[in-house]
Amino acid sequence: MHELGLLAEIVDKIEEVAKENKVTEIETLVLDVGEYSGVVPVYLEECFPAVIEGTLLEKTKLQLNIIKGKAFCHDCKKTFMIAGNEQNCPYCNSQNCEVIEGGEFVIKEIVAR
Amino acid sequence: MDKFRVIEIKESVFADNNAEAAELRLSLKKKGTLLINLMSSPGSGKTTLLKRTIADLKDELSIAVLEADIDSDVDARAVAEAGAKAIQLHTGGMCHLTAGMTRQGIEEVGLDGIDLAVLENVGNLVCPAEFDTGAAKNVMILSVPEGDDKPLKYPLMFSVCDVLLINKTDVLPYFDFDVDACVERAKKLNPSIEIFTLSGRTGEGFSAWTNWLKESVKEWKTAERVGDNAFVRYGRK
Repeated sequence: MHELGLLAEIVDKIEEVAKENKVTEIETLVLDVGEYSGVVPVYLEECFPAVIEGTLLEKTKLQLNIIKGKAFCHDCKKTFMIAGNEQNCPYCNSQNCEVIEGGEFVIKEIVAR
Repeated sequence: MDKFRVIEIKESVFADNNAEAAELRLSLKKKGTLLINLMSSPGSGKTTLLKRTIADLKDELSIAVLEADIDSDVDARAVAEAGAKAIQLHTGGMCHLTAGMTRQGIEEVGLDGIDLAVLENVGNLVCPAEFDTGAAKNVMILSVPEGDDKPLKYPLMFSVCDVLLINKTDVLPYFDFDVDACVERAKKLNPSIEIFTLSGRTGEGFSAWTNWLKESVKEWKTAERVGDNAFVRYGRK
């Protein structure tokens, strides 16, 4: 449900970047979406047409790069993929783990002229 | 015509808002106004709780309430009647407040001479947890009928709050709400969270909360620097 608000924030940012770079046409907007960012890719795609209406991004395509979740275990110092190991470290069973990748929601780049 | 080129941005969606929030916090520190970002679901008893808070503190502190609710004329009037300055913010129909919207609202009316400003964020446990408003402290209300499992369902909200108010304790006998379990779940997400159980309707447990507010106002006015809060510590980067 928060995807609409997040996209509105992104459109503002892109319009600012476009102005700085003297860009008038944006072909593609690329976002990095972590699996554990709490942002749902399908909802982003569904909200996108509504958010870009009447903006500089009206004809822009949305490209989403999904970033897999990765965690670091503070006890055995190993990293592991989170999928399937949501609760504990698969090597030592510790819960003292930290998400190091997959929590991000980043505006990567735009393709523009 | 120019060729298409790639313009690298590599910036978190939250970066701009976080910077604006830090700036607003600093300017409010200079003014000596403690801004509290109050978040909750719709129906958590926010207005009743605010009215009682204002009534209890209005002789000691000058208070303003910034309303973000889309249709909140009734709330604003109730708050004004209780003895606080009420200010309507424009969310543009958004599901949360950003630091920019908060700053705009504050600039319109000014908060000169206000000790405590309460920002009533949009009733929602998801989006407001992602956008730092520039408040000094972040407080959420969870009311008993909503259930003690909410920290499990909305972990980010419980992580970014400095204070959790468990409201409507007067109806505890009628609900299967396990206060201890709720406290444990919230503390697991955010070990430094302060928790008060109270009832906006009866006033039970209220003095601990209003004392916390008074202490926080004093601390904010006398502290040398802004310091951090749960939103800065655990919020989206």
